[in-house]
Amino acid sequence: MTFTIRVALGVALVGALAVHSVDAQTPDRAKTLRAAAEALGMDRWSDIGSAANTRLPGIDIVNTQELIASGMTDVGGRMVKTDVHVALGYNPAAMRVELTPEGGAAQHTIETVRETWAWNESQIGGGLVPGKGTATPAMAAVRERLLRLWTLPFGVVKAAYAGGDKTVVSTEGGATVITAPLGGPLAGMSVRATLDAKSLITKVEARADNPALANLASEATQMEYSDYADHAEVLTDIKTPGHIVGKRDGRTVFDLTVKSWETNNPYVVFPVPPNVKAASAASPTSR
Amino acid sequence: MPVSSRIVATAAAICFAGAALFAQDGGGARQALRTTNAPPKATGTTPRAPDGHPDLTGVWNALGDNLNGVPNQIANNGISIESATVARDLHSGQLVTVFPRLDNRPKNNEQAERAAALLRRSGSNRPIYKPEYWDMVKYNDHNANEEDPSNNCMPAGIPRGGIPSYIAQFPNYVVFIYPGQGGLIATQTMYRMIPTDGRKHTPLQELDGSYTGESIGRWEGDTLVVDSYGFNSNTWFDQIGGYMHGENMHVVERYKRDGNTLTWTVTVEDPDYLLEPWTSTPRVALLNPDPKAMLPESQPCSERDLAHTVTKEHH
Repeated sequence: MTFTIRVALGVALVGALAVHSVDAQTPDRAKTLRAAAEALGMDRWSDIGSAANTRLPGIDIVNTQELIASGMTDVGGRMVKTDVHVALGYNPAAMRVELTPEGGAAQHTIETVRETWAWNESQIGGGLVPGKGTATPAMAAVRERLLRLWTLPFGVVKAAYAGGDKTVVSTEGGATVITAPLGGPLAGMSVRATLDAKSLITKVEARADNPALANLASEATQMEYSDYADHAEVLTDIKTPGHIVGKRDGRTVFDLTVKSWETNNPYVVFPVPPNVKAASAASPTSR
Repeated sequence: MPVSSRIVATAAAICFAGAALFAQDGGGARQALRTTNAPPKATGTTPRAPDGHPDLTGVWNALGDNLNGVPNQIANNGISIESATVARDLHSGQLVTVFPRLDNRPKNNEQAERAAALLRRSGSNRPIYKPEYWDMVKYNDHNANEEDPSNNCMPAGIPRGGIPSYIAQFPNYVVFIYPGQGGLIATQTMYRMIPTDGRKHTPLQELDGSYTGESIGRWEGDTLVVDSYGFNSNTWFDQIGGYMHGENMHVVERYKRDGNTLTWTVTVEDPDYLLEPWTSTPRVALLNPDPKAMLPESQPCSERDLAHTVTKEHH
């Protein structure tokens, strides 16, 4: 090996190590998670008002939310203009997604999940009061629907804190990445979120750490979030995405613009209809 | 700080000495700052009335943030800050992520109010209305500046009034006083005289609906149970949330004294509006330890802000 080649290899090696060392620098997990929570506005002191008598720590104050959006969604392989109404909560973990595609009442759907129950509603709250709509159990959809909840930015941060030492923060391609395990019915899966320079979550992917859930992961949508702002009419200083793009296998399956995203007590509740509970008891495999 | 508030703050300092920091205020005085809002643990013995029942008589405002003795209003919503690192939702038991307080820079009023509005609503224990009313409840709270019936100096009503700040117990009745103080808790002083002499309710159809309803007390062991109906529909039944009700609302309150604490829970039934009865997360008041404690005069309520409100931000 000539001197020139050795020098070149040495320079290349040093360069490679330098590049590697940049990516290998592990960001501080606590600082990264807190920055992500603060960027979203989740972290607030738990004093009320002027805090004259208290000096309480901050807590995660995001529980229930409601968002109204519209855009294009994949309906049977065709992109259709759709109105979207989502109610969600993290205590308990629950989500109701109402899709109203343009010009097709038959394609109007309300898909709901709460903890270990999933069902479809013929109208909001269907199946709770006799004669006022129906609820159709959809237990096989529990994991898929819960995944929607935990791939939202707030879900990622909550999962990351809940994951404790199992949550990993890394730097990849110059960007900070949070990888957090999921729990409950989603145990064996994780979410992987990419943060921008302001610590806002811009991309989330679901991954299956358990091979048995590989199909679910491969079907899971990759979410992209942008245009963060306080999109609530009752301002809360909570930052929510204004633009959401969902992709599957690289193909866009929905592209939504947020009209409003409320956190200040949208009264959203998810009582489980009796027939859904009965169906779950009869077929516990989904639980 | 008025004298009365200083008395209350001093009492709070004594009671929370184990979980308090001391800070210098602008005048150089040492002021207790509570670092938790977990329900206080009972101390002392429970006094008994001559008839053997626990004696609930006393000024129950020693948690000290206001006349009603509410320690921190998210406690009413069931979020317990147990330490600098642990918080949980008392209703579901779910842990809530805690962020260590890195500094004590004051928030501006806007930031503080927005945070407070969220904090009051972050708990999981919510009444379940029939689905046809879900949008109405949401509308009420969303537009609370205009819609909240107590915003125009009207009584908070029962059970929104919460724990009375003063109880006087007699052999055949109890008297509850809820000082008006403006703001979130109540806007007009309320009182209730509740018989415990074994009488029965007046038939509902013979009652004119009122803000406090017709209340009848009875003892179940050491718990005072107050059963009320005969309400008007002019109030909301919890401090936040837009929780309207109808004239058929039935309220059952339970008061349990343990030493220097008074635990209150309420169950609300409303077959017209609610899908199922709702029971509050227990709220705990602390006895004012000053044997000479008095309730100060309530300030008169005069609504002057509402006409100047330009956004939907609210408590």
